[in-house]
Amino acid sequence: MKIVNELLDKLPKEIVLTGEENTRPFECDGLSVYRQKPLAVVLPDNIEQIKQVLKICKKHNTPVVTRGAGTGLAGGAMPLENSVVLGLSKLNKVKSIDANNQLAVVEPGVRNIAISEAVAKYGLYYAPDPSSQIACSIGGNVAENSGGVHCLKYGLTVHNVEAVKILTINGEELVLSRDDQGLGLLAMMNGSEGLLGVIVEITVKLTQTPKLARVIMAGFDSVRDCANSVADIIKAGIIPAGLEMMDGFAIEAAEGFAKVGYPLDAQALLLCELDGSEAEVQAELEVALKVLSVASSIKVSNNEQERLDLWKGRKSAFPAVGRLSPDYYCMDGTIPKRHLADMLEKINELSKKYQLRVANVFHAGDGNLHPLILYDANIEGELERTEEFGTEILKLSVDMGGSITGEHGVGVEKLDAMCHQFNSKELEIFHKIKAAFDPEGLLNPGKAIPELHRCAELGAMHVHHGQLPHPELERF
Amino acid sequence: MSTNLLKIQEKIKLSESLHITGRWLNHTGIEEYFPEELVITVRASTPIAEICTVLAENDQVLPFYIDDKTQSIGAVYAIGAQDLSDSVLGVQIIDGTGELLNFGGQVMKNVAGYDVARMLVGSRGQLAVVTQISFKVMPRQYVGELKFRAKTVERSALREEVEKRLKTVFDPRGIFS
Repeated sequence: MKIVNELLDKLPKEIVLTGEENTRPFECDGLSVYRQKPLAVVLPDNIEQIKQVLKICKKHNTPVVTRGAGTGLAGGAMPLENSVVLGLSKLNKVKSIDANNQLAVVEPGVRNIAISEAVAKYGLYYAPDPSSQIACSIGGNVAENSGGVHCLKYGLTVHNVEAVKILTINGEELVLSRDDQGLGLLAMMNGSEGLLGVIVEITVKLTQTPKLARVIMAGFDSVRDCANSVADIIKAGIIPAGLEMMDGFAIEAAEGFAKVGYPLDAQALLLCELDGSEAEVQAELEVALKVLSVASSIKVSNNEQERLDLWKGRKSAFPAVGRLSPDYYCMDGTIPKRHLADMLEKINELSKKYQLRVANVFHAGDGNLHPLILYDANIEGELERTEEFGTEILKLSVDMGGSITGEHGVGVEKLDAMCHQFNSKELEIFHKIKAAFDPEGLLNPGKAIPELHRCAELGAMHVHHGQLPHPELERF
Repeated sequence: MSTNLLKIQEKIKLSESLHITGRWLNHTGIEEYFPEELVITVRASTPIAEICTVLAENDQVLPFYIDDKTQSIGAVYAIGAQDLSDSVLGVQIIDGTGELLNFGGQVMKNVAGYDVARMLVGSRGQLAVVTQISFKVMPRQYVGELKFRAKTVERSALREEVEKRLKTVFDPRGIFS
């Protein structure tokens, strides 16, 4: 291939990977059911090399798929056919820390947790904490607008980024900052899934490490009581640092794995973390415990070890479920909190319909659902049934006034579901926005936004804010 | 959809040049408010003071800096008030071809499609008519002192070019001035 030869020719040989064996580790991201080998993988050491890669790809009209740590769950970093993967993991330096202004300038390949580790000595940390934080990169976090357990109080990635430097497909540098006059281009770069530019530098906002954090674990006899408590806590004027919910099956799986004393007789479990000064935590604790008096069991962490133990079950929920089934499929819809109990009931009905088990783990505080559908890819047709089940959950999320993805992104996985959330005029606007940055469509093309004919072929029924055509008809 | 919006869509389709103001739009009122969801959806011409009064009943606030509460919420969105973008969850707009479009929504986490709802903050009525905005609100005690911070006026040629192209995306006929 001409392009591969040119990459090898113009760049240091050791940063260009070619051939079946060398490119195989890059054939998928965290969503391993979709795989595709690229023409080549380039792992640049600096911005000049990235510019060179873009220049060569543009010359050969070859798509570029930018990749961070490859932990994404929607296939956003999966290579395209005849594409070049631009892996930024070697750009992993924290360039500067401004403790007084609570800012740090970092390269895109720095791991999420590494930022917090680098600034810990100043009593600071980087707040967004996606569950893959020990591995995922900050560049990937910006590209996906990643969330985590603590978003309700501390925000998503977009709330914690002060500036980014991007390279356009032409290799031009564009700095976008929170302080810019004009359009909110910085905000739009968050969650743009590598379709608009290559993020090469990020200025992140740092947060003061809270003096104290305590977690309340509340077990419930009914899912509805647990879901209602989520709304009641917020209504009482409290913004917990984290507010997580698990259903009976998820409790059982997590307890079997982590053995931390979760109530096995409960139908639902709530973990409510409160943080701040001692006085703040105490005041919030009193209000929260009053709201949670409807629970069948309550435990409050009395020291840091107990707090970490209570979280251990939740944090190991995914691998715990992985122990019970050869494969599982993780969904990511969001809904208004008031519909949480209804959604759980619907998911249970669907579970029976599709004959597939589901464990429900929710970032309940911000209505972000992670149903884990258990399946076995070796059984013919089971993956297809699982995907159909998942699509039904995402459609329900939209119908309830929510979204098909809260924090994982669309990638290749949710292209069909996008047709349900947006009409053709809105999708057309998205395509034109991409063209405004990348007229030839070389940056991660085909991801995140479905082609209009795809939606037309699906015959998708478009719904907005729960307003269905013919609302009198029941839909399941 | 109110007849009001249909009329505005018609007007835009027939216009060759429009200067959008809150008074011209004249689309006021609180559309929906869910205190336990921390979400309020307001029509763009609604005075900020009116929104603050409704939120105060539940001891909640708009968590961004506002210097003049007699302005409409659409006006401060259009200007791009300090950190307002952080609280935006969704918008309803009418583009330069008269299409009514929705981006974002009423949920805290939503990464489906580009974040047009936040991108249009600061668009000064040049790209589309913003008819309705959804905000994340906060209990008063969680919002510290809000200070004004001046914005950078200096802009690169490339940024100007990108903004010009984005205007064409939303207003292909160039009617909003």
